[in-house]
Order: sequence, then structure tokens, then C-alpha cells
Amino acid sequence: MKRKLLSLMLVGTMAASMVACGGASSTDNASGEGADGAATAAVQSDDENTLTVYAWDENFNIPALQAAEKDYQEVNPDFHLEIITQSQSSDVESAVTLAAEAGDYSTLPDIVLFQDHYIQQYVTNYPDAWQDVDDADCDWDGLGAEKLSYSTVNGKHYGFPVDAGTAIFAYRTDLLEEAGYTMDDVTGITWDEFDKIGVDVYNKTGKYLLCMDGDGNDLFYMMLQAEGASQFKDGEPYFTENEKLVEIFNVVVKLAQDNVLYLANDWSDYTDQAIQGDMVAGVYNGNWIIPTIEQVKDNAGKWEITTAPTLTGAEGYASNGGSSLYITANCKKTDLAKDFLAYTFGGRSAEDGQSITYDEALTNGGVIGTCAAAAESDVYQQGVEFFNDQPIYADIVEYTQHVPTVEQSDYHYSAREQLATALQDVLTNGEDVEAALANAEQQLRFEMELD
Amino acid sequence: MEKKKKGMTLANKQLAAGWLFLTPATILIFIMSFYPIIQAFITSLKTGKGVNMAFANPLNYNYTRMLQDNIFMTSMKNTFLYLIIQVPIMLILAILLAQLLNNKDLKFKGIFRTCIFLPCATSLVSYSLIFKSMFATQGLINSVLMKIGLISENVNWLGTPATAKAVIIIALIWRWTGYNMVFYLAGLQNIEYSVYEAAKIDGANGWETFWSITVPLLKPTIVMTAIMSINGTLQLFDESMNLTSGGPANSTITMSHYIYNQAFGKGVGALGYTSAMSFLVFILVGILAFISLKVGDTRD
Repeated sequence: MKRKLLSLMLVGTMAASMVACGGASSTDNASGEGADGAATAAVQSDDENTLTVYAWDENFNIPALQAAEKDYQEVNPDFHLEIITQSQSSDVESAVTLAAEAGDYSTLPDIVLFQDHYIQQYVTNYPDAWQDVDDADCDWDGLGAEKLSYSTVNGKHYGFPVDAGTAIFAYRTDLLEEAGYTMDDVTGITWDEFDKIGVDVYNKTGKYLLCMDGDGNDLFYMMLQAEGASQFKDGEPYFTENEKLVEIFNVVVKLAQDNVLYLANDWSDYTDQAIQGDMVAGVYNGNWIIPTIEQVKDNAGKWEITTAPTLTGAEGYASNGGSSLYITANCKKTDLAKDFLAYTFGGRSAEDGQSITYDEALTNGGVIGTCAAAAESDVYQQGVEFFNDQPIYADIVEYTQHVPTVEQSDYHYSAREQLATALQDVLTNGEDVEAALANAEQQLRFEMELD
Repeated sequence: MEKKKKGMTLANKQLAAGWLFLTPATILIFIMSFYPIIQAFITSLKTGKGVNMAFANPLNYNYTRMLQDNIFMTSMKNTFLYLIIQVPIMLILAILLAQLLNNKDLKFKGIFRTCIFLPCATSLVSYSLIFKSMFATQGLINSVLMKIGLISENVNWLGTPATAKAVIIIALIWRWTGYNMVFYLAGLQNIEYSVYEAAKIDGANGWETFWSITVPLLKPTIVMTAIMSINGTLQLFDESMNLTSGGPANSTITMSHYIYNQAFGKGVGALGYTSAMSFLVFILVGILAFISLKVGDTRD
């Protein structure tokens, strides 16, 4: 009996310690942050003209920040921007979460680059982590109202836009031609017409006219925004009662069933197999997807971009993703940070129609800004060889001006996940559309703690 | 100190030495394990995020909320499905392999043992990623099956709920069978060969010896591997995270993966709720370990 008791205790402690390791991940991560201590020692600089910033993409947003540093040095020659590279955007989110949960903001740099769809939630959850920039000296009206709707919380500006998430619909013109269509045939059409063209393209070429990551499905959000509608109404999920959402959901189901839409299993399946594996004749996403499309050198000159179809046949303008720069609570040089950001990404240097920040961000990183004044420069007007010499940057800036502002929510990604789940339920489990949407809405309400 | 020690009896000295040796480990375990567990329990009674975190009203709010959470229920069903299918298959395979490799006349035993144990030396993340690319729509498995004519068009293994679950189970079996086999091999070394010889003389065939000698004598090892496997499966995370990302439509998500998603993965940061879910996993592991111990123990 004694032995049994002993072994029981042993098992108990074993189980307890294992759960402690596996389950209580908060402690794991807290210690992980401690390990970062060596790195965090350098997140702040003593020099009064130096600012530190977290960013994550060496081919995309880091060149943009370098351009901004160079731009600001024209007015403040002693200025230095220390860019601390993170491996992915979620690292920045985790850094803020951990600093806020630990109540110790000293681990954060002066400025962070942050994803637009997350910032509302982070300002709401951790209001102490940020400093508002409402009084910064720049022309907010010239930065794109839709873009600023993400970084404005409770009527206060918190961020400066870096890249526009303006959506593009890119088509392979050679494949369209094979099926007997031109770019004009796919511009300003309804989703029904798109479906017919898609069926023809699939039958003639074996390629899908549209693809999306089925796991993180951005189609619903973009398609709804193009209609000027949102998944939310007055801060609550708006699914089953939302006629446009129901209609769009049915369109997506039909596209998938007709082999017009390819739903990839996950993000890497989407980028590596679907887009770069040459499975598709069309891509619809934020313009940051362009570098992914450009990876396939063989298809240079075969792509062109246009607007998306809509339910009514009007040209569809939407936006997805993108990021902005925010000043953290840990920044002691707030005035310098505000002035730097207002001068560069806030567009003050672009007032004469040309800005080093925006020009070099585009040439070195392919970052397309939302500043209307900067888009008048020559760099934006050039044709791009990969896209059949179409001046896509100027076109994208043009699209940006038309993107309707729709209601944003802290629960953007939760809504996206629930709709993606509903779609999978309909497609693979044969569930009824109405039931699937009702279930998704109920699940989202649960997550938002509304019921 | 010196004086005190001199006054101690031998037994007391030994006792003191014992405590002395135990103290560092005890303190470490307390700080690294028990203290966080207590903290996690306190957190599990709270709701809200960041600065707004406060004790829930009622206090068991997170615990009752769990029961209404459809995705958490799905994740629980998935985890138990993996448990019920994978653990028995894996343990039976492991015991059979151990029996085969314990054969005295087998040549190149070392090579075979190494081969079967080798999967355990691979990192969980890397093997998950390799399985992912093998079972991709354009992956190796589809090409091979196409070439030998078993399927006529590519199967979307990871995109269909049933096959995605099957792939996870296959991956788990591949990764962990060798690990358990090693325990059985060690257990088999402790069974005297003379016992088998005696059985042989009495006319028992291979099957009978296996069931009447090997299995009963291996029982302690079987119980231990069962507990470890159950415990490991309940906390399954890497495969769900890396192989299928819980998809399609949460049909392969495990409890730990869902907990991670709610805490960090999707920027939700519901730490109170996730701590509560972690405690449920803790209790489940405790209950299952207790049951297997009861079932396996026949000493009194």
C-alpha cells in the first residue's frame, strides 16, 4: 500500500510538472522575455537624437524606415534611427502583450510598426502602452481616410500610416486570352459574370481564376468592403441579418464549387503552391502580395492588375492588411518621435510633391504609401515591367482614394476565422449556409462575451 | 553549526544530510513549477485583458464559460479521438517491435533498433513540417499513389477533416512508437530467458508465451508508457500547430493549441480564460493517470 501511495504521488508530481511546463505558457513566455533582456537593454538609446523602432521585413518595411531616416536627416542632421529587426509581425504583438501583461513597458522601443487590424484591440486592451499623436504637425486629411480609420481610436490619432493595404485584383492576361477574354472583360463586372469567366478559364487552361488561404480567409472582408459593408454593426457581429454578407457568402461557396476559387490549406500553401506553383490565373489581396507574385520570373509581363468584381457590377475597391507606426509608452523623446513621424510618413516632407521617404520606400521596398501628395512624384508614375509596363503604383494610389471606410472591430481576426470555418463547414461537411452562418455568428458573439 | 552537528545522532545526521541534498531541488521545483501553478490558478479566476484584468463575477465565470465554448469542446473531442485511436495502436506496435528485436538469433539488431528509435531524435517541429510537405496536395504521397495508380487525382490530405486527423495520427505513431519500444526492450531484458525455456518445454507456442509471460511481466512498463502517452497526447500541441494549423475549420485543433490561440496566437490575450482551460487539462491528466494506475496495478 505504501508503495502504491508513493507511486501515486510520483505520478501526481510528474503530471503536475508536465502541465506546468505545457499549460502555463504565460510563465514560459515571461522567462523568454527575460532571456531577451540582453537585447532589450538596447531598445532605448541615451542619445537625444536617436530613436529606436521595431519592424519586421527586410525586403519591405525596413527599407521604408531607412528612407524615412534619410529624409529626416535633411532637417535634423544629427538624427539617427535605430531599426531593430523582428522576424515577423507577431513578434511585435507579443512584445507589447508581454510588456503590458507584466506591467513593465521598459522593454519596448520608442516606436513600433504594428499591423492595422490588430491595433484597435491593443489600444483598447492596453491603453497605457501607447501615446496618442493627435497634436502632431501634419496634414491628416492627405493620408487616406480609410487607412487612418484603423489607427484612430476614440477619435484620437495614434499612428502614422506606412503601407496601404489597398486590394488589387491581378490577372494573368495570357491565360485570360487563351479562354477568349481581355482585361476589360474582367473589369467592372458582377461576381456572377466573374464566375462564368472563371469556369471558362478553368475548362480551357486548368487554372483557377481566384485563390485564397482557406484558413485565414480574407475574401469576405475585402468583398464586403468593396460593397461598403462590414461584418460588424454597432460593435456587434452582423452576419445572418446582413443581406450583403449572406449574398457574398453564397457567391464564395459557388465559386469554390465551380472550381473558380482555389482554397489553399494554409498561408504557405497559398503563396508557395497556389501562386508560385502556377495553379492560378488570378490573385485578389492587399497589394503587399505583389512581391509574392513577382517571385515567378517566368511570368514577367503576363500579369496586369485591375479592380475587383462586385455584386452590382461597379468597380470594387477594398483594403486588406497594411501597417502603421506607433509611439509606445516607453518613449521619453515624444516630441522628437512625433516630429520625425509627422515629417516623414505624416507627409510633411511631401508637401512639395516629392518625398524621399515615399519615393525610396517604393523603389527600395515596394512599399506603396497612402499619402496623396507623394504619389505625384515620378517614381509612382513609372510602368512596371513585370506587370506589362502598367503603372501599377499610380493605379493603386488611385484605388486607395476610392476605398470606402467601413466599421472596424477589435475582433477582426476572430470574425475572419469564424467565417472561414463556416465556409469549410458548408464545402466539406455539406452544412446549410444559413445554419453555418448562424453558428459562426453565435460563436463570435461568444468570443466577444456578448451573450 | 559545528557544535550542533556534534550533538546529533547518526540517524539525525543522515536525515539532515538527506534534507540538505533535497533542498536545492525542492526550492527550484517550488519556484519554477508550484509557484507558477498557484499564480496560474489565481489568474484563472480573473477576466479582462491587460490593465483591465480583474476578478471575475461570479468567480467561476471562466470555468462555466468553458463548457459553453463550442471550439473548446471540439478541441477536446479531437484530443480524445487522437488518444483513443493513437495510443493503443502505438503501444501494441511498440511491444510487437520490441518482441521482434529481442530475438536472440536476429542479426544486425543494433541497426534495426537505431532505425526504429531514430524518429524520436527529430525535433517535433521539423518532423511536422516534413509530414506537411509530404502530404501536401502536390506532395510526395500523392505523387507516389498516383504513379502506382491507387488514386486518380490528388487527394487534399490536410484540407479534409477526416484525412487531416488521420495524417496527424500517422505522424504521431511514426514519431513515438520507437520511443515506447525502448522502454519495452529494457523491460524485456529483465525477463529471465529460463522462464521462456520452461514454457517452451511445457509446450507453449509463441502466442501463448507472449500473452502469459511477456505481457504480465511487462505490466509495470506498460502502465508507465500508457500514462506517459496519455499525458503527452492530452497536451498535444506541435503537430496540430505545425502540421495542420488546427484546420480545416478547427477540425484537428487540440486543447493546448486552442489554449495557445486564445492566449497568444490570434492576438486575443484572454489569459484568465486560458489559465482556466489549462487547469481543466491538468485535472484530466490527473484523472486519466489515476485510472490507468488503478487498472494496471494488481499488487493488492
